[in-house]
Amino acid sequence: MAFLGQEEQIREFQDRFRYLYAILLVGIFFLLSRLIYLQILNGDKMRRYSEENRIRRIKIVAPRGMIFDRNHQLLIDNHPAFDLEIIPQYLKESRQTKEVVALLSKIVHMPEKELFDLLEKAKNQPSFYPIKIKADLTRDEVAEIESWKLAMPGVQIQEEIKRTNIFRDIASHLLGYIGEVNATELPKLFKLGYNYKLGDSIGKFGLEKELESILRGADGERIVEVDALGRIKLEKGKERVLNGVLEKPAIPGKNLVLTIDQDLQLSAAEAFGDKIGAMVAIDPRSGQVLAMLSRPSFNSTEFSRGIPSSIWAQLLNNENHPLRDKAIQDHYSPGSVFKIITAIAGLEEGVIDEKTKFHCSGSMRVGNRVIHCWEKHGHGEVNVISAITESCDIFFFKVAQKLKSVDDIAKWAMRLGLGKKTGIALAREIPGLIPTEEWKQKRLHQPWNAGETLSVAIGQSFVLTTAIQLANAYAALGNGGTLYRPYVVKALESNEGQVIQEFKPEIVGQANLSPKTIELVKQGLWGVTNSPHGTGFRSRLPGMDFVGKTGTVQLFRIAADKIYQRCENMKFQDRHNGLFVGFAPAKNPVIAVAVIGEHVCHGATAAAPIARAVIKKYLEKLNPELYGEKALAARLKGAQKIQEPTPAVIEEKEDIVPNEGIPALALPPTETPKEDDDEPND
Amino acid sequence: MTHSSMESQTQSGFGDESNIPRFGLYEEELKKFDWNLLILEIVLFGVGIWNLISATGVQDKSLGLYKSQLLWFGIGMACTALILLVHYSTFSRLAYGIYFANLVLLVIVLLIGKASLGAKRWVGVGAFKIQPSEFMKLSMLICLAKYFESDRTVGGYTLKDLILPFLLAAIPCTLIILQPDLGTAMIIILTATSMLLFIKIHPQTLLLLGVCAAVAIPTAYKFALKPYQRQRLISFIDPMSDPKGSGYNSIQSKIAVGSGKLLGKGYRKGTQSQLNFLPEHHTDFIFSVFSEEHGFVGSVILLAIYLAFILSGLSVAHQSHDKFGLLLALGIMLSFFWQIFINLGMVMGMLPIVGVPLPFLSYGGSSLITSVLSVAILTNIANKKFMF
Repeated sequence: MAFLGQEEQIREFQDRFRYLYAILLVGIFFLLSRLIYLQILNGDKMRRYSEENRIRRIKIVAPRGMIFDRNHQLLIDNHPAFDLEIIPQYLKESRQTKEVVALLSKIVHMPEKELFDLLEKAKNQPSFYPIKIKADLTRDEVAEIESWKLAMPGVQIQEEIKRTNIFRDIASHLLGYIGEVNATELPKLFKLGYNYKLGDSIGKFGLEKELESILRGADGERIVEVDALGRIKLEKGKERVLNGVLEKPAIPGKNLVLTIDQDLQLSAAEAFGDKIGAMVAIDPRSGQVLAMLSRPSFNSTEFSRGIPSSIWAQLLNNENHPLRDKAIQDHYSPGSVFKIITAIAGLEEGVIDEKTKFHCSGSMRVGNRVIHCWEKHGHGEVNVISAITESCDIFFFKVAQKLKSVDDIAKWAMRLGLGKKTGIALAREIPGLIPTEEWKQKRLHQPWNAGETLSVAIGQSFVLTTAIQLANAYAALGNGGTLYRPYVVKALESNEGQVIQEFKPEIVGQANLSPKTIELVKQGLWGVTNSPHGTGFRSRLPGMDFVGKTGTVQLFRIAADKIYQRCENMKFQDRHNGLFVGFAPAKNPVIAVAVIGEHVCHGATAAAPIARAVIKKYLEKLNPELYGEKALAARLKGAQKIQEPTPAVIEEKEDIVPNEGIPALALPPTETPKEDDDEPND
Repeated sequence: MTHSSMESQTQSGFGDESNIPRFGLYEEELKKFDWNLLILEIVLFGVGIWNLISATGVQDKSLGLYKSQLLWFGIGMACTALILLVHYSTFSRLAYGIYFANLVLLVIVLLIGKASLGAKRWVGVGAFKIQPSEFMKLSMLICLAKYFESDRTVGGYTLKDLILPFLLAAIPCTLIILQPDLGTAMIIILTATSMLLFIKIHPQTLLLLGVCAAVAIPTAYKFALKPYQRQRLISFIDPMSDPKGSGYNSIQSKIAVGSGKLLGKGYRKGTQSQLNFLPEHHTDFIFSVFSEEHGFVGSVILLAIYLAFILSGLSVAHQSHDKFGLLLALGIMLSFFWQIFINLGMVMGMLPIVGVPLPFLSYGGSSLITSVLSVAILTNIANKKFMF
């Protein structure tokens, strides 16, 4: 197999092997001498180091990024917290365990027995692992422990951070909370290439979770040489392995600047009072979320150092689900606020125009059934504008009858972003549902029935939306048809406040509405809050061009004789949901707001005032010269004062969407949002 | 073997390139079967398993690691039996095929590989994962040996002759550095370079290459290395610069080895490693576990076994009368030498921490299989030397 002439070359090669052997010997010599140096010459010292754990790593916790609102108002801060720890090895070594425990029990007011129990419990783990004795020491306790430190070997104070929501329970769902990383999460994080250790904090919910990698930073560390009692050795000497202290500084996390305006959230929270529900405000020009609340809420600060189980149990067992973000995580029937979609579908599909009028007598016959308008005496002659203003059910039933199929409504609902996730960068957003014939066939294996289209036309039946979808859909209508992806983080800033990255608006779709349609719908919406016949007239904001749509949704099918029963007389859980979605100013809106109040009975009287408060606050802040109190007064002087309707009239303005023909279960089980009680320390 | 083996031997005749050696063992081969390397391999692996049981004994999660190591060894032994049945020149024919298949695997790793500790190094299905970069150590050697086999350059290689071998090493190295796996890339570069030096490069070319390296290395340091890799190099020079990562490992590993003293702390009694001071102590830092528990005496014995192993391997190369066999055996032994030297140097704090496993002792299937296959090829070369 050899080539001619190869033998010679091979012989030449074989001569060179002696160099190889020489190199090999040199290598072995190096390794051998290193072994002698480490094990024979320095063996005693190294043995002592290994036995006494003379090298200690001290964690330097990286400050987590802070969270600001759009005006740099601080929302989430790091407050220091101090934990008491004992390293059993050093305590044992000192042979003063009894004395130390006695002294410590006095300082931190814990019975000696409890301390001994804690030490006993940790017997199985390596003795150099610190045991946490008490979390969140007071300043006085910290000072006293520091002053007695020399008398208490093995006792140390570990500084930790306490993530603090400055506004307690405001927007805790959005901001989220952190908790200790747990054993089940570790392997997953490890796989993703993250370096977490047990006891580290990690975002568990909301922005704290979504932007964990940005907020977290990197912990630093100090490596120090200690004596046999765990005291840091400072003097230089022969016995040392390290020359000085090795330190790697912590890298602080990046700060977040949100698109949120905290003042709006505070106004909304105030207007909410103890009502249950959600509110979302979006800038229609960009998709920036200006405010986002879910009530009832919780104080995210309580989660930061491990939530006490009593508080956790309370949150879990509360039937109003304070842990759920109702703005993105819960489905609601939109009811009457959905009627604009039916109006748009009717206008765009050409089955009605601005001149189309229908007569509302309070009820109409469909097949062999009679269905009712919420206004039992009827609205008389209505066109598309007055139908929206007065929320006339019969008008929209008739539009639905004229449309080819439910798919015509679905088409326009989807173009405005309903029935699918808005794409906001928060986990757990649910898609909602806009039914189509195909969907029903696929899901329920039943053909669509024409009667259901009428229910869909007034936002009932299978139609399910989220608060953020409604706000975004109205925002898109307001800005002329552009659908943005809502976003909450405006910029990332360095620890020193320098802008690192700014986020830009992202267009996700165009509704392609004709200007005429937009104009007609806006006129209808204008009437709601500005015409005495409007369902939301009481929440008008003169001079601010505030427009919107009310909705009141029955939650259960109610027997015919009880349809007009007063909501307030019902059991709380049976009461209607109230909705309001609107924007201002009507022409070129700068804010769109959706409010959903659970069991508040009326959209007009319970939800609309919350939206009103938010919009008023925002416009005043944005442009005081135009919308300030004085400016408004001056502008409105001379304008004809619109007559206030008497309270009796208002009571009648309840556009309750009757629950005719609603299937008992709106959704098959697979579509129901998962009850996801996210345990923080599971 | 049967009667016909003599026949086929004559048929496959000396210097006759066109004849493909038959499948199976030759009679002479059985008589003079070279057991040295196989025995040393089994001894080293036995020590490795014994040590691995100690190293992984404390952590619950890794308790069964030695079992999968045994499984990999079994697979490796089955492959060894197959390799011994063919003539090693088969590898010369398949060289480029093996090489490209391995390259494709490396690309797949980068595209859909599984990540661990921030590096993408594995491909596979479920629990069965392989690390193609480990196999590249061997594939590249087969290719280099083939290239130089058919070459008849006299008086040293010039730059032009080295373009192809350079590419053969540089392409996989680039892919491996991208993973990033600095250690494996370094072993490939060192092995290829030392092989070229052995084959003899033209003095002028050597000078030119030296200058290039002097320019390229700082450039690569600045642009090609990831920050953490740079950090590792810096921390070797100045342990202060990164106490958390490499510096800390270096210190703890040194303490582990040193604290073994003359006789060691005893099997499964090494505190440094048992108590988890040392991260990755069952893979790259496995020697510190051994050295801590068995002391200077144990370490010297282990070193002696490795020395015997390398000497046996080199003597296979030395005695081969076939250029391909000689170069392949040489390359394999150079690769072993560099892995052992760099790993031990790193564990004992003499060299930067670059992530090189210790052959037969470190935990890791792909590394083990590559080592076992290498020994199989060496034994094959040793057995076939009667044919020349």
